[in-house]
Amino acid sequence: MAGSILLTLALVFSLFSMIMYFFTFRGSKNTINLARISYHGMAMLVIVASAYLLYLILSHQYQFKYVYSYSNSDLPLGFLISTFWAGQEGSFMLWLLLTSIIGVFLQSYTSKRGDLEQRVMSVFALATTFLLAMVSPVLKNPFEYIWIHPIFLDIKSIAPAFLNLPFIQNFLFSDPSSGQNFVKMNTDLYSALTTAGISVNDFIIHGKGLNPLLQNFWMQIHPPILFIGFSMATVPFAFAIAALMKDDYKDWVRQSFPWVAAGAGILGLGIMLGGYWAYGILGWGGYWAWDPVENSSLVPWIVSVAAIHTMLVQRKTQAKGDGIGKFAKTNLILSIMVYVLVIYSTFLTRSGILGDASVHSFVDPGTVVYLFLVIFISTFILLGVGMIAFRWKSLNEQSDYQEGLLSRELALFTASVALGASAIIVLVGTSAPIFHQSVDTVFYNEMHVPLAIIIGLLNGLSLLLKWKHTEGNEIIKKSRFSIIATVLFTLLVVVFGEVHNIMMILLAFSAAFTLFVNGEIAYKIIRGNRKMLGAYITHMAFAIFILGVIGSSAYSEQKDINLIKGETQELFGYKIKFTGYQPFQNDKKYYFNIDVEDGGKEYQIRPVMYVSDFNMGLMREPDILNGWIRDFYISPSGYEDGSQADGGHSDVISLGEGEVADFHGAKIMYKEFTKPDMQAMMAGNDFKMGANLVVEKDGKTYQTESYMQSVGGQISYVEADIKEIGIKLVIGKIDPMSRKAEFTVTEAEDGVSHSVKPAKEVLSVTASIKPFVNLVWIGVLGMFVGFVLSTMRRLKESSL
Amino acid sequence: MKSKYIFGGVIVTVFLSLMIYLFTQSNIQYESDFQKIMEKERVVKATGSWVKEKSYKIDNENRTFTFYLTDDKGHQMKVVYDGSIPNNFEIATSMVVTGQYKDGYFHAKDILTKCPSKYQDQPSESASS
Repeated sequence: MAGSILLTLALVFSLFSMIMYFFTFRGSKNTINLARISYHGMAMLVIVASAYLLYLILSHQYQFKYVYSYSNSDLPLGFLISTFWAGQEGSFMLWLLLTSIIGVFLQSYTSKRGDLEQRVMSVFALATTFLLAMVSPVLKNPFEYIWIHPIFLDIKSIAPAFLNLPFIQNFLFSDPSSGQNFVKMNTDLYSALTTAGISVNDFIIHGKGLNPLLQNFWMQIHPPILFIGFSMATVPFAFAIAALMKDDYKDWVRQSFPWVAAGAGILGLGIMLGGYWAYGILGWGGYWAWDPVENSSLVPWIVSVAAIHTMLVQRKTQAKGDGIGKFAKTNLILSIMVYVLVIYSTFLTRSGILGDASVHSFVDPGTVVYLFLVIFISTFILLGVGMIAFRWKSLNEQSDYQEGLLSRELALFTASVALGASAIIVLVGTSAPIFHQSVDTVFYNEMHVPLAIIIGLLNGLSLLLKWKHTEGNEIIKKSRFSIIATVLFTLLVVVFGEVHNIMMILLAFSAAFTLFVNGEIAYKIIRGNRKMLGAYITHMAFAIFILGVIGSSAYSEQKDINLIKGETQELFGYKIKFTGYQPFQNDKKYYFNIDVEDGGKEYQIRPVMYVSDFNMGLMREPDILNGWIRDFYISPSGYEDGSQADGGHSDVISLGEGEVADFHGAKIMYKEFTKPDMQAMMAGNDFKMGANLVVEKDGKTYQTESYMQSVGGQISYVEADIKEIGIKLVIGKIDPMSRKAEFTVTEAEDGVSHSVKPAKEVLSVTASIKPFVNLVWIGVLGMFVGFVLSTMRRLKESSL
Repeated sequence: MKSKYIFGGVIVTVFLSLMIYLFTQSNIQYESDFQKIMEKERVVKATGSWVKEKSYKIDNENRTFTFYLTDDKGHQMKVVYDGSIPNNFEIATSMVVTGQYKDGYFHAKDILTKCPSKYQDQPSESASS
């Protein structure tokens, strides 16, 4: 209750603040203080509400649906904190919290710059109002009680003592297909519990927990950083609208610049932290899959990078006394696009529209939320487009500027167009699922290679060119070092790196050109004005990043391989040997130890596999041998212990009672379920449970059984061995409620079981090498450092 | 004519036409009608749900994973995937398989499982007492 009240109050404050700021802009004298107080009041309420949500999570208050759905009492503190943003409601809350806090800084920044505050903050408060409406009790509220909408709770999450209560029977359900038992939580059960004097918090003692894929260090920091980037995207939008409101386009570029640079730096870092997480945990071997969800956050980043460059032109041309400067319209449009694209990204991932297209996407949140998202995005598009249309004539009158063909302005503009093309390509591919289409990753890759080449060349070229106009022979003189170095570097790549694909050679050439041009300038600067370094560091880091991408994606090699325990095999120049598995974390997870020998040095790679309590699925975690030149990446896919595999076929089949399966000419029938002694099972005494089987082959029938038994707490599986026909059956997963069971059927070669043969343990893995993947990470970090430096420099200039 | 329009225009035209060309080349359609998939034998993204009654088979030797999918109308299709059983396969409510129907079965290159437990909090409404 308290949380919802806080958020509703905050919504009122935000709306009020927006209106008061707008009145101030329209000339009211006494409203600015009210606007400021209500903005800060709103921010305080949001901070308190967030702290309250965190408190509810940390103190396991499962009467709140959000806490129940995403956390449980077993999670360590770090993961518990990260459940704050594990679900829809919480991640909206995080976005809102970060936006509100950024607004506090923005308020202080704008209040020192004339009449900027009322214009910028009225637009900014519109954004916080929408986010607050999103988490309000009618939409995605994280403080919703669990009984408001009927929900089925796993019986294991209920305190056992209460299951004997007479009225509970009416709320018990079982799902015949999975055999799980549930308690239906709704308002009826809530009132029954209240009447009995039981608090829901005592009734529910365990939550559903956090998806194991998210239980990772990088998942603790990737979402908050990404959301800081999302929140900061609000700022350029607010500045652009503010400029349009006043019809004054001179100062806003300078004032908005540090925010755009900082936003791009943080958003980029956030995106690539997600990539680093995917590389280390998902096991498919890469950091970027062109998944719609990844793409949708990349598009605003590309657009803000384009905006940075054209804004730079506007500033420079202003300084040369040409009115509002060049590309004023472009800059307004790009700044507006950055935030609109962030909302569009939210729309794609949260509306359920990508349901079939993305691994990350949320399920359909319901019509109301869908409609609200449509209103959210339409409002900001209409506001942006409307304001620009309204000022179009005035904008055209104020901008007039001519440049030569060989000028830095034109090169930067062309680069921005190339970036825009990249943004459109990604946007089109990502939006395709809306129209029941989809594109292969080839689409993105093939489009981006030529674009990256153009961008790299333009980057180097633009720095060699002077503003306004440059003489041809001057460029040749200035670029002598860079061109020679680039050609030499490319030759090295071709000769020693064995890169023969023409597009890859061009890409390497273009990246090297960027690297050397920027490097030369950076070298000169480092002895002069170091504050200017930011841009050059970012450019060099981008070039390094591109070189890393070439190496790790175009020259990665991959192989599926079966590792037999104790046998050494050679792969990609490594000698590898599977040495067995080793349980850890209370025997819940297993390390699969692989000894690796590389040039006389010995290492160990330990991929992990386990069955997750969260979803009963088999989870596989890769392990990586990080090297300077390349990573050796091993992702496990399966493991067979020796009891089954002895050279013949081996299949896993799942059957229900009475069902029959074919297995290489033999009919296997699961005749009857052997019921366990329930009392013994509950009391922890010895019991057995399994299946009576009938196997038919070549006209003969064999009666047999395979079962799971528990003796003194030790669980073992007893196999059925039909020696006559060389078939072995062993029961695996059993579901006592539906009586479905999984069997591993093994047929020995030539129909005779080789039981004397020593058992082989086999680990199946997908192994790959990722050359120069480290350059990708170095590039990302370097770009971030560059963005920070340039933000600092532009922040100083912004107050001139 | 301002030079920026020439340069910008050329890049935009070249890349837009390249994009449209590649889009049509690499475009894969979603298809939820298995009868059409079996007739056309084109690369598609088939959406359907696993036929639990027909179980699944893991062939460790050839590294294939075989199961049956059904569409809304009840048409079933055998799917063979070159790889191991995906995470969460058994509990997926529906799945999207990318590939092509040929020689009597669907050759899947990719399986995307949609899990109820990940973001939704209810078992199917078919749960009965």
